[in-house]
Amino acid sequence: MTGSASQGAVVQFDHVTKRYSTAAAKDGKGVPGAVNDLSLTVPAGKICILVGPSGCGKTTSLKMVNRLIEPTSGRITIDGVDIESRGLTDLRRSIGYVIQQVGLFPHQTIGENVATVPRLLGWPSARQRARSEELLALVGLDPAKYRDRYPAQLSGGERQRVGVARALAADPPIMLMDEPFGAVDPIVRDRLQNEFLRLQESIAKTILFVTHDIDEAIKMGDLVAVFQNGGILAQFGTPLDILAAPASDFVARFVGQDRGLKRLSLLRVSDAELRPPTTGRPGDSAAEARQRAAADKQHYLLLVDEGNRPVGWIAHDDIPAEGTLTVEMANPVSPQVNRRTTLKDALSMMLDADVQTGIVVDRTGAVQGLLTIEAVARKMRDGEHAAPFDVTAEPGADDHEAGGLQALATGA
Amino acid sequence: MDEIFGFLLDPANWEGARGIPARLVEHLFISGAGVLAATVIALPIGLYIGHTGRGANLAINLANIGRAVPSYAVLVMVLPVSLSLAPVLGYSPSLGLNFLPIFIAMTLLAIPPILVSAYAGLRSVDRDLIEAGRGMGLKESQILRSIELPIASSIVIGGFRTAILQVIATATIGAILSGGGLGRFIFDGLSQGQAGRASIYAGAILVTALAIGVDIVLAFVQRRLVPRGLRPEVAKARATTRLVDATAGAGETPTV
Amino acid sequence: MLEGKPLIDFGWILDHLDDIAESILQHLQLTILPLVAGFFLSLILAIWAVRQPRVYGPITAVTGILYTIPSLAAFAILRPVLGTSLLTALIPLTTYTLLILVRNIVAGFQAVPADVLEAAEGMGYTRRERLLRVELPLAVPLILAGVRLASVTTIGLATVAAVLGNSFGGLGQLITEGLQTFFPTKYLLGAVLSVVLAFIADGLFVQLEKVITPWARAQAGAR
Repeated sequence: MTGSASQGAVVQFDHVTKRYSTAAAKDGKGVPGAVNDLSLTVPAGKICILVGPSGCGKTTSLKMVNRLIEPTSGRITIDGVDIESRGLTDLRRSIGYVIQQVGLFPHQTIGENVATVPRLLGWPSARQRARSEELLALVGLDPAKYRDRYPAQLSGGERQRVGVARALAADPPIMLMDEPFGAVDPIVRDRLQNEFLRLQESIAKTILFVTHDIDEAIKMGDLVAVFQNGGILAQFGTPLDILAAPASDFVARFVGQDRGLKRLSLLRVSDAELRPPTTGRPGDSAAEARQRAAADKQHYLLLVDEGNRPVGWIAHDDIPAEGTLTVEMANPVSPQVNRRTTLKDALSMMLDADVQTGIVVDRTGAVQGLLTIEAVARKMRDGEHAAPFDVTAEPGADDHEAGGLQALATGA
Repeated sequence: MDEIFGFLLDPANWEGARGIPARLVEHLFISGAGVLAATVIALPIGLYIGHTGRGANLAINLANIGRAVPSYAVLVMVLPVSLSLAPVLGYSPSLGLNFLPIFIAMTLLAIPPILVSAYAGLRSVDRDLIEAGRGMGLKESQILRSIELPIASSIVIGGFRTAILQVIATATIGAILSGGGLGRFIFDGLSQGQAGRASIYAGAILVTALAIGVDIVLAFVQRRLVPRGLRPEVAKARATTRLVDATAGAGETPTV
Repeated sequence: MLEGKPLIDFGWILDHLDDIAESILQHLQLTILPLVAGFFLSLILAIWAVRQPRVYGPITAVTGILYTIPSLAAFAILRPVLGTSLLTALIPLTTYTLLILVRNIVAGFQAVPADVLEAAEGMGYTRRERLLRVELPLAVPLILAGVRLASVTTIGLATVAAVLGNSFGGLGQLITEGLQTFFPTKYLLGAVLSVVLAFIADGLFVQLEKVITPWARAQAGAR
């Protein structure tokens, strides 16, 4: 895969090792920050998460790409070109770099901060200014308001956005991000993550993203590289792979006991088996409806309107022997979801409402089917035994392309 | 060179009212008196505003003034005051020229470092600790004594150190006014022209030795009085960085 | 001091405005030269200390000892060697600025946040660019505080320079001559002028700091 298909570049680690000369290194024990024979390839335009416990070498690996740390052996290439062969400052000015504390220059305005690399590259000041404003808008900050402010005047979340804008200023094909959303509170972090994913849809850069948070890794990554102590790559694959088929005990433990549940956040209602509902309309014959309800597995009838939109449930026993179905008989209880809702959210809603069944509707609100907790649980268990590298799987309507990346994961 | 040794080893210079010991005593006396008076005035105030946090402006302004005003100027400006006080306080003007102006000047010079250091030292104590103390039921005076002062001790003693050095140095010049102190060797030597060269040197060396000696002793005391758990990098590092802005150079008023 | 005479003879002041002005200029010379020389020396020493942290201890120790020497003694020791030339005064005065400035310049560099430095390096600043465009500007507040302190200190110390010989001039000369001739007008004038000069210098640097570091104001405003 070359970088021509997207705006990103291919980053490849080729047997990269970083060793620190301490006593511990001699007897082979893991030295914090060391990296051991790392080989992986990040395809262009994808987000690759480097995740693992403290000291596992993920940050070290990241910093070797822009040569803040030099590898002891092995090589790293960008689009096939060895990074050692490029000039140091040249290399760094072509890579976007975002760190946890952001490191905005306190003595410069936000506008000047964002235009840092363009300024270093010698762009004319009018172009610098234009680019600065363009990027501030891109990350959701009103340029007129923020351009002339100083970093000290901004909140943590705002500063992080500026950090991202600054990294994007010279339109680098690669971005290195080291726990960029770690220093803000969970609500802000969630928002920043969502906005960044949306941003990536339009800029499609190759992103190497370090985090210690497995949930963030699952959420953000197209590919996830799990590191363990000693700088060893434990597993490299899509989030679904990592969750469905952890390659070792370590990965299984790191991912957490709840990886089944975690997987549910990657699956959508459309992935699960839906049950066709037993429906009835107001005005239908009660006797006939009662028969149909009896045949229903759960002995419930779903009352719908002319647009096939759900009104409420009627239990079989509550349907009179004669007369017609009326709206009053129905109990409007049950959460409604659509096909794109994640199974995790759907499950959450059903548990909250203390029901067994959720109603799946389409954009007009019409009933498509029923989703039971049991179906969700089955889906959770099923995934466990699925073959990890299923090359025939279609890329879903969601952000993570399962298909083409599997081949890459096996290859690496 | 030999002249200096000659001077220092000449027994004649070691006895009498103009001998080295006598001058040394005079020097220490006037310095000590000034620092003592300044302590009596400045320390309670400094501890009070440091503990309560009120009067921060006073501390900052005093720090600025204390650093900016030349000591020689203070020495000199006090003269008319003391001389006019002579008839009031009932001593002869000639005596007034000797002791009082220097004493007042010393006290004035020593007040800013002592007060500001007391303030800065107390302010450097982590607020959480004080709150914890209050929460446990300690009285304000107990908090001051058992929590704040031990932690602030390094900075407070630093203030004394500055004050004493300041005063010792000024007393040297003060000899131009009064009859006493090691500075007299320098001035007497000046008035003797070529012959007095040894005296000038000797005086300079003696004063320097005194200053460095006192500084070393106080540095030692400063280090020893700090509670073991706080030595010395932790307290100093945190305190100095936080207070550099507010009271920059509080520990470093110039020695004249 | 004789009783019955007025304390300040304003007539004398008006008659001698030229001499007074000259004294002030001499004093400025005695202040500015050591400050400038001291600043550049300190900058070199400080950058060295920041690059090689191990030399910081010895540098501080040496300058600390020098600082403890009472200035009159320092002037006195150098006088026979260098005579009554300007150097006799300038060398000790410059040395006194060293301790203040080295300490403050180093503190200034150490105050630059580590994440800012890392971001700068990661983004592709060369070492020199980083020093000039990031570290120095951010170190300025503390450096300025040091220069401010050094300037008022030097003004004060310069008053002592004239005690030993009247060729240095300056306001100290006014004071000393006034004392020697029991002429209060002269010595009080010298004293007051030196205090005024010190306060002007202090105020000047406070204003300078406000002008050069607009972001510090923003910082204060944000909190």
